[in-house]
Amino acid sequence: MKRAAAVCLIVFGLAVVASAAEAGRRTDGRPDGGSVAYGEYGRPATLDPVTSNEMVSLRITELVFNGLVGIDEKQEIVPELAERWEISKDGLTYVFVLRKDVTWHPRPNEAAKAFTADDVVFTYDIMMNPKTITPLKVRYEFIAKAEKVDDYTVRFTLKRPILNALAKFTFKVIPKHGPANPAYLTREDPFVHRPIGTGPYRLKSVTGDGEITLEANDAYFKGRPHIDTIVAKPFADQNIMTQALMFNAIDMIVLVNPRYLPEIQGDKRFVLQPYNALSYSFFGYNMRNALLADKRVRQAFTYALNRQEMLDSFFGGQGTIISGPFAPGSWAYNLDVAPLPFDPRKAIDLLKEAGFSQGPDGIMQKGGKKLSLSLKVPIEKESEAVKRVVLAFKNYLKNVGVDIDVQFKEWQAWKEDVFLENDFDVIFATWVFDDSADISSLFHSAEIGPWRNNFAGYRNPDVDSLINESKLTLDFEKRRTLNRKLHAVLAEENPYTFLWTLTNYAAYHKKVRRVAIHPYKFFSYADEWFVER
Amino acid sequence: MTARWIRPVARVLLREVAVTALLLLGVSVVVFAILGLAPGDPFGVLLEGQASADAGAAGVRESLGVPTAWHAQYLAWLGGMLKGNFGASIRTGLPVLGEIVRTGKNTLVLTLGSLLVTLLVAVPIALYAAIRGTNRISVPLTMAAYVVSALPVFWLGYLVLYVVMHAFGIFPLGAGFSGGSSGPAAVYVLLPVVVLGVGNGTLSEVVRHLREEMERVLAEDYVRTARAKGAPAWRHAFKEGFLLPVTEIVASKIPFILGGAVIVEQVFNWPGMGRMAWQAAQDRDFPVIMGIAVAAAVFVRTGSLIQRFVYVAVNPGASREGPARRAA
Repeated sequence: MKRAAAVCLIVFGLAVVASAAEAGRRTDGRPDGGSVAYGEYGRPATLDPVTSNEMVSLRITELVFNGLVGIDEKQEIVPELAERWEISKDGLTYVFVLRKDVTWHPRPNEAAKAFTADDVVFTYDIMMNPKTITPLKVRYEFIAKAEKVDDYTVRFTLKRPILNALAKFTFKVIPKHGPANPAYLTREDPFVHRPIGTGPYRLKSVTGDGEITLEANDAYFKGRPHIDTIVAKPFADQNIMTQALMFNAIDMIVLVNPRYLPEIQGDKRFVLQPYNALSYSFFGYNMRNALLADKRVRQAFTYALNRQEMLDSFFGGQGTIISGPFAPGSWAYNLDVAPLPFDPRKAIDLLKEAGFSQGPDGIMQKGGKKLSLSLKVPIEKESEAVKRVVLAFKNYLKNVGVDIDVQFKEWQAWKEDVFLENDFDVIFATWVFDDSADISSLFHSAEIGPWRNNFAGYRNPDVDSLINESKLTLDFEKRRTLNRKLHAVLAEENPYTFLWTLTNYAAYHKKVRRVAIHPYKFFSYADEWFVER
Repeated sequence: MTARWIRPVARVLLREVAVTALLLLGVSVVVFAILGLAPGDPFGVLLEGQASADAGAAGVRESLGVPTAWHAQYLAWLGGMLKGNFGASIRTGLPVLGEIVRTGKNTLVLTLGSLLVTLLVAVPIALYAAIRGTNRISVPLTMAAYVVSALPVFWLGYLVLYVVMHAFGIFPLGAGFSGGSSGPAAVYVLLPVVVLGVGNGTLSEVVRHLREEMERVLAEDYVRTARAKGAPAWRHAFKEGFLLPVTEIVASKIPFILGGAVIVEQVFNWPGMGRMAWQAAQDRDFPVIMGIAVAAAVFVRTGSLIQRFVYVAVNPGASREGPARRAA
């Protein structure tokens, strides 16, 4: 049985101070003005936070919209549109008290409208409408309803208490007077191409070719951002984008292809800034397969792989080999657990210990059953490196007598095989986290089932109880200890062969200062950036 | 004189338009069938695989007004198109026709410009070689035309960009940008046009075909007679030795030039139809793919129609025969 969450009222003293500050110029002494143009990978399809599903759009919506809560640079939840909140003892009711000083970006020839509880309820309703085209619906199915209590108070009722629900309220709020169709939102609604929000920047213009100009919102509730204009310029080709930076046609690249790092590194005009990616790649094993249910077999696979060699040759060494289930950028990651070394001899020993012996064809077998497995890989747009990784996997395992049959699958078909049919032995994939400390959905046994994230079917009472405990404790240090323990257990268990986190690099002209970068939303802290005069 | 070619041209035109209509229908059926048979679904792309149940996808289809059965889907598309409604892109929600016109204009500038470049380079070489025969000038020129034609266009594009950027210090990509290009506007329009014109593989074929035809015509009795009478040979040789071969080869090469445009648009960041097609193919955005397929078919057909038109105008008797195409 789930224990009731002993979580109650949290009031952020700091937030009250912050909201008392007048909207207007910032008083941090940094200059206002200037502009930053950045290169973007193609034209975004839509610019609103509900229908969009691409990184390109996500970066823009980060500048134009706000959530009820935000996540700060230390990955802690902080107030945004909500100045404080209350969570009921049973963990089923979340009440948010909203800021009263927030206005929507005005449309041309229109006065700015105030942000109220109606907008929050509207956003939730439109997001969940079956006809709305959005990838977000699945994430918010845990909410039963959203109600307006008064103009500045909203109550969310949950269907069941879920762990770490607060982080889910980072969804961006859109205005009730935004979409032309108030019932549901499709990509044909004019709002998705010309959205208005509450954020630090408002959309000024979009050209037919996809160049997007954003200008500072003077009325931003956290104070006007320093940089006057931010421009997104679409590029079709990464090489050309790098050249554009070198010729000052743009000031920033949000994600530099490792291949072009040396060229930029050698140029004193630019800063190369690494930022944590809250993601990692892995080979995941299907525990439903009796051969893979034995942890010694999974460990053997990890020993058989030279992960550093793969990282060096396929990604120019731009990344970190990991040992466990958290992204290394996370506070929950346990640095004391070292990744297993490359040791094919040890791999063979482990397989023999598990009862396998080398057959006449060199393939390990046990009781007449060959250690022959299928590896299913989704076809991605940029799949060259992925192909090399899976072929290397196949070769490394061949050396220890394991036969791998690589099957590339179209994305949708792959998802069905893995998450619905559980028809696979091994998969290669990458997890991207919005909350780096929350791995409950990957390894908790309650998360086994169709379309749930524990596709591996991994079941371990110790892991379950560690996850539960970590979720229920409010003491940060205790949570850290629990997560470090969890990390150690999963590193030993090898439900996945954890591979690596790739290091992301942003490149920008050194005139841009105080650049802090969010792992994948990128612009979360852009209101504090400034341009040196 | 004029009346002599109007009737035959009108007859041919009518026949060709009817053929074109059937052709477009065929193209749309084939493209649609390929899209239907290919794995993957645009709605899956839209939801990024997040709609766990079919219910989600059904809701999406309903709100987009897309029928589930493939034949109903095709008929709905066809019915819309006949009324001039190409539907809206599944990815961007924007009307397909508007997007095709917007990007099509850029592609048209690129392809027509590149055709002009091809002809400006190829025609003098071919004519010189035809008139003067094989000599110390025509041989290296023809060789050069062959070598340049054989270069892959994406490689040529990068090479030209590299030279312009590093030798001249100009960043030559401005198309689609409101600012930021350090070069003059002409540079960034001209570069891709020249690259495609030189590198699309048509150059050598124009040289070869035009030279052969011109040589043949110049050796014909009627030209020799004209020469003997002291009349300028080129006036007599022009129609058969120049106009026909050039229009023939250009018409037959339009599909290849369009194909090359996809690559050049990518390399030069040129916001044209080719890039849109590439994106749409990745997203299985069928209204866009269908729209582009139809637009490309119209484009190609228009090219061959113009060629037929010229052919019949030059030789009215050809209107009664079947399409008498000479092998290029």
